[in-house]
Amino acid sequence: MRPGGPAGPPATDRHDDRVVPVYAMTGGRTRSAGPDLPVESLVVATDRWPGDLQKEHRMIIELASRPVSLVEVGARLRVPVGVARVLVSDLADAGFLMVHTPPPVGQDGGPAAAMLQRLLDGLRAR
Amino acid sequence: MPGDAGPVPLKIVVAGGFGVGKTTLVRALSEIPPLLTEEAMTAASVGVDDVTALPGKRTTTVAMDFGRITIDDALILYLFGTPGQERFWFMWDELARGCVGAVVLVDLHRIEECFPAVDYCENRRLPFVVALNLFPGTSTFPVEIVRDALALAPEVPILRMDARSGDSCLSTVITLVEHALQRTSVPH
Repeated sequence: MRPGGPAGPPATDRHDDRVVPVYAMTGGRTRSAGPDLPVESLVVATDRWPGDLQKEHRMIIELASRPVSLVEVGARLRVPVGVARVLVSDLADAGFLMVHTPPPVGQDGGPAAAMLQRLLDGLRAR
Repeated sequence: MPGDAGPVPLKIVVAGGFGVGKTTLVRALSEIPPLLTEEAMTAASVGVDDVTALPGKRTTTVAMDFGRITIDDALILYLFGTPGQERFWFMWDELARGCVGAVVLVDLHRIEECFPAVDYCENRRLPFVVALNLFPGTSTFPVEIVRDALALAPEVPILRMDARSGDSCLSTVITLVEHALQRTSVPH
């Protein structure tokens, strides 16, 4: 069993090409210090030069040259969302990423009417 | 956050029984190649049987697929296929929080498999549409029989669709957003 064992997929080996065990990337942390970001939160790279950051951090900053969600970061890095959340939070804290959380919800728990209308207009135009 | 002029993410949940076409629908609409993500789950989230079957294992992971539609420069819609089995329902809560609503896909040959998804949406007051994925031999099935069988409220849209067709999937999602928008203006 590899050191990062508990994070590994139980039955398949589809993540065997992982660069390093996932918990090595996050220093053993499985939760970020900040509030849990929703999986669809978008991250965008800032102008700050990544310099000699570790490979996974540089990959995230590269992905985030355009808005990209936490869940996409996880999938592209082949790590669980929780790990992506830690990496992204660290990069945001260090000023390399801007995080855009989902819009505030209305009384019924869903997006506000104006936001839904904008979505509807966009979908109908496709 | 107020005053945040950055890009905005929205999400829609695609639910239904195993093999009903959730992945097909997500892929028919997504502009990005199919991606799977993993969510770690703690032993507490897993059924007792699973814990005893995996001695010493504290967490396992569950794969879910998702897709993306860029609506405009600053609005991106994500589609999440929900994991089918009930033991993964803890993930539904995270996916459902703040979502636009859910597409509940139904295979009329196995209609009962959508019951849990319908129950979930009703209990959480999530806007949802029931999408009858047209498998061979079901295309003439009357929609109102489905409404009765699922005991759906009259306002819940039911539509026939083909999850393999991008246009059909897009219409389904549009119907859901229309329904969600309508609900913001009426008390429920």
